[in-house]
Parts: sequence; C-alpha cells; structure tokens
Amino acid sequence: MMGFLKYSVAAAIAGIVALSVAPPAGAAQPLKLGVCYDLSKAYTFATPQVSQAAQDLVALTNLKGGIGGAPIEVIVQDHGNEPQRGIECYEKLKREGVFIFDTLSTPVSIAMLPRVMQDKNILIQALVGRGDAVDGGVFGWVFPLGPTYWGQVANNVAYLKQVHAGNLRGVKIGFVYLDYPFGQEPIPILQTLAKVEGFELKLYPVPLPGKDQTSVWTQVRRDQPDHIISWLLAGAHVVASKEMKRNGIPMDKYISVNWLNEVDIANIGAEAAKGLKRGTNVAGGQDIPVIQEIIAELYKKGKGSGPEKNLKDVYYNTGLAMYSMVLEGARQAAKLHGTPISSATMREGLQNIASYDAGGLMAPVTVTSSDHGGGGKTRIEMWDGEKWIPQTEWIAAYTDIIWEVVRKSSSNYHN
Amino acid sequence: MFYPLAGVRHQSYVSDSKLFPVPTDRNLLIVLTVAAIAAPFLLSSLYLNSYVQPWLIWTALALGLNLATGWAGQLHLGYAATMAVGAYAAVHAARFGIPWEFALLIGGLAASLIGSLFAFAALRVKGLYLAIVTLAMQFVMDWVLNHSPAISGGSHASLQSPRFALLGQEIASGRGLYYVALGWCALVTVFMMNLQRTALGRALVAVREKDYAAAILGVNSFYYKLIAFSMCSFIGGIGGALLVATFFFLAAPEQFSVNVSIQVLAMIIVGGLGSIIGTYFGVALILLMPGIANEIIANLTSFLGLPLGNETLAHIPTTVYGALIIIFLLVEPLGLGKLYANIRDYFLVWPFDQFKK
Repeated sequence: MMGFLKYSVAAAIAGIVALSVAPPAGAAQPLKLGVCYDLSKAYTFATPQVSQAAQDLVALTNLKGGIGGAPIEVIVQDHGNEPQRGIECYEKLKREGVFIFDTLSTPVSIAMLPRVMQDKNILIQALVGRGDAVDGGVFGWVFPLGPTYWGQVANNVAYLKQVHAGNLRGVKIGFVYLDYPFGQEPIPILQTLAKVEGFELKLYPVPLPGKDQTSVWTQVRRDQPDHIISWLLAGAHVVASKEMKRNGIPMDKYISVNWLNEVDIANIGAEAAKGLKRGTNVAGGQDIPVIQEIIAELYKKGKGSGPEKNLKDVYYNTGLAMYSMVLEGARQAAKLHGTPISSATMREGLQNIASYDAGGLMAPVTVTSSDHGGGGKTRIEMWDGEKWIPQTEWIAAYTDIIWEVVRKSSSNYHN
Repeated sequence: MFYPLAGVRHQSYVSDSKLFPVPTDRNLLIVLTVAAIAAPFLLSSLYLNSYVQPWLIWTALALGLNLATGWAGQLHLGYAATMAVGAYAAVHAARFGIPWEFALLIGGLAASLIGSLFAFAALRVKGLYLAIVTLAMQFVMDWVLNHSPAISGGSHASLQSPRFALLGQEIASGRGLYYVALGWCALVTVFMMNLQRTALGRALVAVREKDYAAAILGVNSFYYKLIAFSMCSFIGGIGGALLVATFFFLAAPEQFSVNVSIQVLAMIIVGGLGSIIGTYFGVALILLMPGIANEIIANLTSFLGLPLGNETLAHIPTTVYGALIIIFLLVEPLGLGKLYANIRDYFLVWPFDQFKK
C-alpha cells in the first residue's frame, strides 16, 4: 500500500508548492541564509533571541544597501531539535539556492555535517556541534566562528591563574557539569591543565535534566573548592544558585559557561546573583554601537523582527555576533570575487575575516583556512547586581594544548 | 464493486489462509509495488530522499516494534536502544572492514542478543511494569553511549559510517539508497504479512490476548514473548543500522534517545497496533506531518501576509500536528489502519450492502 501514500504525499506537496508565493524578481540575486533552528523544543531558551538578532542585523544591512549591492534574505525554519527534520530543512533549502546553513543545535549540526561536507556548502555552528570542527584543514566547510568549549574552559582557568597571581598550585577547582556530551566535553582539557598548573580538580556530574542537584552541592560543601566552573544550561543555573545558598557557598565562586542570560539572572534574583561570573565571547548589555543603531533604525520605527524586550538578553548579542561574522565573511567574499557570492567564494570570504570585533560587540576574530574558530578568545564578566563588568581582556590561553586536542580528535574524521 | 468477491470460493484450509483472499487486494499491491519501483523516476530527489526514503526506513522499524507490541502485546519503551545497538555494532563492524551485508547481520544479531537479555529480566513482569523495565533499558543504553567514547566515537563527536555497499557495489546515489530502503521495508512487510498466518503468529496473538489462557492451550507464553522480543530487536537492529548507513551517514547518541522510542511507539499506536498498512500510515503522520504542516502554515501565513513571530510560526504546526493525532484517535481509536479497513469493508459490499457477507 506504500505507493498510494506516496502519491497522496506527492499531491499534498504539489499543493504546497502551488501555494508558495514566487519571490519578487529583484535586480540582484539575494544572498540567502538558511536558519534551521529549534524554535519549539530543547533550545528555545536561546533560539528566539538569536534568530531575531539575525533578522534585525540583516534588515539593518539591507537598509544600507545589502552586501555588494545584493540584498540578504534570512529563511527561518523550525526543526524541533530532531536530526531528521534538520536534514529535511537542509535538503529543502539547498534546492532553493541556500548554501549557508546554521542549526544552533548540536544533534542537528552533527547530523547535517556529512551532507554539508559532501555538497560543499557552508555550515555555521557557533557554540554547538563537534568542537574539533575549528580545524579548517579537516572540516573545510564548517565554521564554528567562536570559541570551543575546550578553549572557553581553558580561558576560565587562565583567569583563575590571574586571580591567584600566576600560581594555581594547591588551588582546588570544582567542575559542575551536566552529565552528557555538552558537559563532559571540557573534562580532558581540565585534567590536562590540572597536571600542567598543579591545581586540584574535582568533578561533580549533574544528572539530566539538571533539576535536582541536592546531592551534588552537599558534596561540593564537603570538598570546599576555591572556585566552581559550571557547565550547566538555562534553568539548571537557577537550581545551582539555590543549592549554593543552602550550602553556604558564596556566589562569587561561580563561573558559568556562556549559556547564562538575563532571564536566569532574574530567576536567581539580580541582587542574589551579585558576584556571579560568566565566560563569554560577546559583550553583554546594550551599550554597543550596532545595538543602538538597530534600536534607532528598526525598533523606534516599528520595524523590528520581534519583541523589543529580547534585545536586553545576552543571547541577542550572541546572535548579533554570529551573524556579524557571517555578514563580514560575505563582505570579504564580495570584495574578493564580487557578487553573486557562491559557497566557494563565501568560504574564502569567511577565511579572510581579520581582527573583526563588530564595533566592540565581541572578541576580535581572525579566521584563517586552518583555524575556523577565529582564535577562540573569551573574557570573564561579573554581574554587579545591575550589569556585567568585564574582569579580563579578551584572552585565548593554552592554545597549543587546545590545538593538540583538536587535531587528535579531528584526525579521526575521514570524509 | 471495487472488491469483487464473486467467484472467491475456498475449498481447503490452505486456500482460505491465502495471503490475499480478495484478488483486488493483490492487484492493488502489485500496482503500488510498481509505483514504488518507479518512484525515483516520478518524484524529485528532495521528496524521494528526504521524505519517502526515511518514511520507508522508519516503517520497517515501526513494523519491528509492532511485532512485539501489536502482535505479542508487550509494551516496549526501549526500542531506540535496540536500534542503537544495531547501528553501533554494524557501523563498527563496517569500519573494521567487514562487508555491509554481514555488518548489518551483526548489527541485527547484536541487537537481538541484547534485546533478549533484557527481555529475560523484563518478562518476569507484565503491563506497565514491563514498560518501565524496558524504559530502564533505554536509559542504560543512553548512559553507556554517553560514557564510552570507544563506542560513541568520542565526546561530542560522532561515529561516521563508511560508504554503504552491497555485493561489492558502492551505493551512494539517492536512487540507490532509496531502493535499499524499499527492499528492506518490503522484506519486513512480506515477513509480517506471512507471520500472521503461521503457528508462530497465532501463538503471539494468543499470548497477547491472555497469556495464561494461552498457557492452558499449550502455548508457552514466556518462550513466545522472548521470541517476540528477539525478533523485534533483530528488525530494530538492522533498521537502526540502515538508518545510519543510508540516511544519517553517521551515528550519534541523540539519534537513539528516549524520545525516539516514544516516537516509534506513537507511530504504531496512531497507525494501529497489529496493523501493517496502519503502520505505514502512522509513520507517515508522525514522521512527515511536522515538516509538511510547517511548510503549509509558513506558506499560508506569507500568502495571507500575516506578520507572525518566529516562535509562533514554529508552534502553530506543532499544535496542528497534536490536534491531528487527537482527532484521528477520537474518530478511530484503533488507529489509521482501522480507518482504512473500515473504508475497505464498506467497499467490499458496496453497493449491495443488503447482502452483507
């Protein structure tokens, strides 16, 4: 009976195709960005802000005449964090002329990767997906455009070394992490650094989904580490803060992964969160030229792509940073080879991004053909009760150790 | 009229238990088989390889679960775990240099072995308790995959599958992969259709209906439950391996997580427990509907010029999809397969329904 359904599916699809509106014939071919995001399941704590940022930034760029005279188009589609639907999104948009894809989901990014490498399309995977993809020599078409979690945790350790005046010997560092690949990823780096710097490392796995951390924090209280590096997500930070309070562990010991935003701060309580730190590759807050411009040009005129309150969220800045880099890559591509941009010239453009910080929005990024991560710089910011105060410059520490791990891991990949 | 019963007479048990007592069913299936074989030349590559091919692979998988849950009546919430065992075993075997034919078989046997091992423990309990024990199998497998880089291919990494090949012939084209999926799905379907008319199939149904009544009839219910679990795991293992080899091209733990188990269970419940045609419909609804609904809603809103945010646009199809499942199950609690059977039954006697058979 399989053919019958096949025909009905085909008929349904034909109907859909007939329904779709043909794009207006423009002078220049638009550059299309395929934003296949999880807007309905696991990643919804960040995807609305990030996709809104992408749309706003593109709208602003189009107001200024696009890139190389060509407008830019963002196509947002939901994949519900299912690899199957992510691939469907990829295959569909690929045939509509999209060659730049972004998933903001580790499972979907991983599932899309072999197809992207095969088809020679570009996969943007800032802060998600496999960390060793920064190795441009192996993953020629994948651009993490940002720090790996390995680099991020190494920078955190470098910050702690600064705090302890260059000597971590005898210091006890606890690592609280969600017990699945996202949280486990930094462990080998921490273990290597513990040997190099001589600090004592304590591991505290938190079972998924991170709602119950009672036993974890009583253990932390027993061990009394000097600092706690936390690889938790969204609401799990809030649970951690409650448990810390209960166990009398001061907030200023806590250094979070970049996934901690204003919503979490509000849930912890702005006052209670005082002293909390976060590693980040983007500057927090709205005091940044491009955000001010977006507010003035779009939101003041009612042309924003979503609710204005999302702009106060650091994930909005993260999204702006990601797409600033993508558009900068396109600009470089247009400069080198003109328009229309193809996936090959776009790749070259992205690899030509040099010391670009989008006007103070993020850590300066230099992408090369061997380093698709852009240098992996981050900094530590502290919440002072009202806003984020930078504690360090943009740093990228222990890069030789990180690259050793990256190369070891990427050498297992064969296309 | 559409299903002429005139001239259909059974004079022996063998003829009565034929696969297609009504010739129209057989003719319909022949037409559909021809259509399925011709599909690569009729459909665009997008629909062939992003919709139809996964649909066939998942149908074969769902049929495997239907064997345990629909036929033998054993609720199984750890099906994705058996898929994972099959997938990882087969991919590791293929990476080791074993030809894919044997790698698939190794995947199936490994899944069958581990599935049966769990069944030994699980089958001491029944019903909801069994569901919880099989769920435990799922979580054990999740934990093993997340904590053994040797199996999963390293932290946050994934295990690449070597190029798929059969009989020494590398299969890389979309059409080739479609035919592999079609072949496997057809094989499982034919097996399931024939299972219904064997002693084994009848024993499974007896166990499902009441296991101690079956025992009184001389059917060893523990033995048949075990058989059901191992067959179900075998089909799941090979299906999982084929899913990785011909669709994902790599194995990652998220492809076999607990929500996949629930999704496959939803496919057979919506489709109809113990119904083959229903499984096809159920998989189509659960697997393909979200994407299709997404597209329809997106096109509709842009056609009508409605300014909707990204989030709203993502949630409407999910709502529609949920509502569809509820509506279908309200209209026919026995699933889409029963819905189809109702229509067929109607046409069996139409227009002379006064001569009910």
